[in-house]
Amino acid sequence: MNDKIRKVLYGLLSVSALALFVVGWVAVSHMEGTMLPTPPATFTRFIEVMSAPISKATLPVHIWVSLRRVLIAFVFAVTIGISLGIGLGWSAKFNAFFGPLFEIIRPIPPIAWIPMIIIWFGIGETAKIVIVFIGAFTSIVLNTSAGIRAIDPLLISAGKALGANRRQLLIDVAFPATIPAILAGIRTALSSGWMCVVAAEMIAARQGVGFLIVRGQESGDTALIVVCMLAIGIVSALLSTFLSKMEGVLCPWQFKKTK
Amino acid sequence: MAVQKDKIIIRGLSKTFYQKNKVVEVLKNINITVKENEFLVLLGPGQCGKTVLLNIMADLDKPTEGEVEFTDGRPEMGNLGIVFQRYALFPWKTVMGNVEVNQKFKGTPKEKRQQAAQKYIELVGLQGFENALPQALSGGMQQRVGIARAYATESDIMLLDEPFGALDAQTRYSMEDEILRMWEQDKRTVIFVTNNVEEAIYLGDRIILLGGHPTGVKKEYVPEMPRPRNYTDVAFLKLRNEIVNNTDLVL
Repeated sequence: MNDKIRKVLYGLLSVSALALFVVGWVAVSHMEGTMLPTPPATFTRFIEVMSAPISKATLPVHIWVSLRRVLIAFVFAVTIGISLGIGLGWSAKFNAFFGPLFEIIRPIPPIAWIPMIIIWFGIGETAKIVIVFIGAFTSIVLNTSAGIRAIDPLLISAGKALGANRRQLLIDVAFPATIPAILAGIRTALSSGWMCVVAAEMIAARQGVGFLIVRGQESGDTALIVVCMLAIGIVSALLSTFLSKMEGVLCPWQFKKTK
Repeated sequence: MAVQKDKIIIRGLSKTFYQKNKVVEVLKNINITVKENEFLVLLGPGQCGKTVLLNIMADLDKPTEGEVEFTDGRPEMGNLGIVFQRYALFPWKTVMGNVEVNQKFKGTPKEKRQQAAQKYIELVGLQGFENALPQALSGGMQQRVGIARAYATESDIMLLDEPFGALDAQTRYSMEDEILRMWEQDKRTVIFVTNNVEEAIYLGDRIILLGGHPTGVKKEYVPEMPRPRNYTDVAFLKLRNEIVNNTDLVL
């Protein structure tokens, strides 16, 4: 019963934060010269772009175009990132070989790659996918390798004592033990990948939410800008929630059942 | 008791750890002979190197000096049953998955290894929990899985490293009975490490008391009492006092 009350209370707290936000928004947008569209104006614009195409695409299509770029990049980032991370975390030799190079490349912000990528790949789909890939893959590599190194040594001992050879130790012990860390890396990667796609699209694109937001700026359409910003936030939050759910499915042992 | 053959002979075993600017002698000149099918208890205070000794026996660590001889030949990795204090179950594997894992590593076909695993799951009384994940089980049940997993190696030697150290007192008593029942039912050479004097007397055919700095064998005790032993028996209490008075205190 107490739990129920607390749940309702916390729900109310979340709602009141949103309400405060909207109230603040209304207040600021009615001030002179703020150039901020009012919530109703934003909502009207939102309804419009849901059906009226801009640059041959409605808002859902623009979102889908951006998402598709992220997802394609992700397939590569996840496969290459996990393999590289396992290599770095598992093999001292591989870490000695590749570790320092990775440490130098890793801190370069993905956005700093954009000019070079555009020179190499032009402004087509490939360029955007490569940028998202760069943004996503480092955190997957880092989390995977850190996860492998953080495995309870007792589990490794147990695996050895139970007769696992090195390959079995990796596949049956180290890898499953690292899945939670990998999923955490994927979650970080997804939000930075989503950031990168918007950034890449803002520089050169004919479709996508990043393109749309710049179009809003160029035509002084502040309502469109706000619609895009909210869309970016909401999509990102949905992706993150989806991944949290996936964690529950993929590693149920991470979530203690109440006894 | 009939004369038993020697199973494991530990000769002049020492272990020294070399740390940055420190040399730590943990074990010094340990000599122990383990008889076949006996229930041998290694009793010693915390941090005295019992686990190190067990790890050396299991080939997870190397001695600085001395040797461990297995009279039937050293078992290969994976052919020795080990039960860990902190269970060391694989949390992503079900009870069945944990118990069958040794045979899986050895490449036993699935049906055969699951049949064998089932036998040991039943031996530890966990039938009905085959598909449960360890985290859904209580500490006592988790350690039953640990014991079943060790039994499923089909090794005739079982090393138990303070297996009940993390359990509450009640569960501990019942697990002590359980481990004796299993041992009576499926005789193997058991080396049971503990820091609990009562547990040692309750379980052991023989008790090797470890102590000193560095750790060596202090004394050997043979509780001449039939099982099941009684914690409040005069002989039990007498032996208990004797051992306690001879034990190094760790504060």
